[in-house]
Amino acid sequence: MRLASLQRWMQAVVVHPGTTEQALRSPGAAAHLKPARLESVLLPSKTLSAAERIAIYQEMYPLRMRDALSSDYPGLDHFLGNRFWEFVTAYTSAHPSMGYTLNRLGDQVPAFLGRRNALRHRAFLKDLARLELAITESFDSPEAGVLRAADLEAIPPGRLGQTRLVTAPSLRLVDLEWNAADYLDSIRDESHKHPRPRRSRSFMAVVRRNYSVFRFPVSEAAFLVLSDLKEGRTISTVAKRAMGRRGPRRAAAEDFAGWFRHWTAQGLFSGIRGRRSLG
Amino acid sequence: MTSTPHGNRFGFKDLGIGIGLRTVHYPHILSKWPKIDWFEVLSENYMDTGGRPAFILDQVAERYPVALHGVSMSIGSTDPLNREHLRKLKALADRTKAHWVSDHLCWTGVLGRNTHDLLPMPYTEEALAHTIRRVKQVSEILERPLVIENPSSYVEFKGSSMPEWTFLARLAEAADCGLLLDVNNVYVSSFNHRFDPVEYINAIPADRVVQYHLAGHTNKGTHIVDTHSDHAIDEVWKLYALSCRRTGLVATLYEWDDEIPPFDVVLAEARKAEAYRKAAA
Repeated sequence: MRLASLQRWMQAVVVHPGTTEQALRSPGAAAHLKPARLESVLLPSKTLSAAERIAIYQEMYPLRMRDALSSDYPGLDHFLGNRFWEFVTAYTSAHPSMGYTLNRLGDQVPAFLGRRNALRHRAFLKDLARLELAITESFDSPEAGVLRAADLEAIPPGRLGQTRLVTAPSLRLVDLEWNAADYLDSIRDESHKHPRPRRSRSFMAVVRRNYSVFRFPVSEAAFLVLSDLKEGRTISTVAKRAMGRRGPRRAAAEDFAGWFRHWTAQGLFSGIRGRRSLG
Repeated sequence: MTSTPHGNRFGFKDLGIGIGLRTVHYPHILSKWPKIDWFEVLSENYMDTGGRPAFILDQVAERYPVALHGVSMSIGSTDPLNREHLRKLKALADRTKAHWVSDHLCWTGVLGRNTHDLLPMPYTEEALAHTIRRVKQVSEILERPLVIENPSSYVEFKGSSMPEWTFLARLAEAADCGLLLDVNNVYVSSFNHRFDPVEYINAIPADRVVQYHLAGHTNKGTHIVDTHSDHAIDEVWKLYALSCRRTGLVATLYEWDDEIPPFDVVLAEARKAEAYRKAAA
């Protein structure tokens, strides 16, 4: 068997989620090697048949996938419990790792969960996954300097309105419809008091500071302001849009000073657009 | 650190005795800056992160010699080489002033997919020519000779026309690459495939060995799995001693990746190599 064909056959067997017999018979494997001809390619050892030998690789594959997804989605793993295995199998069949690092394996998890119509608590789980993905992305994001309150105060008042702030590369903004943040907080609770899924709208800012990822809730109005700033709008445009909204989405003029003080203290900005980045 | 009596043909230094840089040991390393000769860094863990891992790696690389060790180059794959991976690998090697860059004689996936396993090669003329060509390409891209590690494996291909040690020796000569001799892998595969590990060690071109790996494994009775989860067994140390007599003093690294004990336990295990190194000096 040529090298290319052998590798396609072996991969089809190794990643197959069924038994080794099913894997050997799967169309992806059988297209390269009929199951009956297994020993024309793989030798048995004194203690293991050829099928048992390739099964060693086939058994290790899902364990690696599970470890990687559990590491990025501990909340999802905790909530699903025994069903996490089923999720790993379905997810990695739909979205196998295509890159050199397992760090990106879970990037499609929120979208994948959103498509699982039969999944109980689907909307809650999707929110939980979105929050966990934001945390992972924030953790791995590039390092940047931090804009201090003094840097903001140094901007001449006449130019402040036209200023565009650079948000920290680690900043992620997540709007949640369900109590996913409370659930994630609870998973290390030794008393096992985990909230049941319930609708609860909240807005989270996720950011890395001193190499640790933090998250904190913000109001809907503040969330929209941060979103506008992240998109690179000038401060005057952001303020105008914020004060023109209605209900809880609306910001009052007196909100801004306190918000910016808090946000600069939390390291949400890394610089001012058009100026040399801080660092 | 002593200079090697034999030396490798690339002039790579004997870095002494090191261990793999692992997340669980970060607090210990950052607070103690322990006395250790060098660290081996898992390349892919640091290529795409600008956070804490990158910060810690920079601190470590400032204070200790490092070498990069990868698991995703997939040098034996029939897929095209991943140029983005190689570009980032070179940047990481430059940034950390890595003494060398190693990866495994294996393939990790085809059709764009990555199984993240070190899948074995058939030892055929076709596979050899293919791997030689790719090692040369990678060495050119990285602007340094690639160092290739012998894998542990659980299957043997009927189509293989030469033993693994012959494949490795021919690959190293033809592609002009270095070798990372994993003595535990030699032992594991010798058990699984019933060959003589001494014959393997004696067939490796000594002047191409630039690094050793040592590790523990899990004996399942019917086969051994390379788990890196324990102390190395006596037979592995004996093979290491044998190989050191052939190569002279070569940088040695202890790998512990599962059920990782405290830093000092891993370091103490690694330092057992000192006695064998002295005997070989």
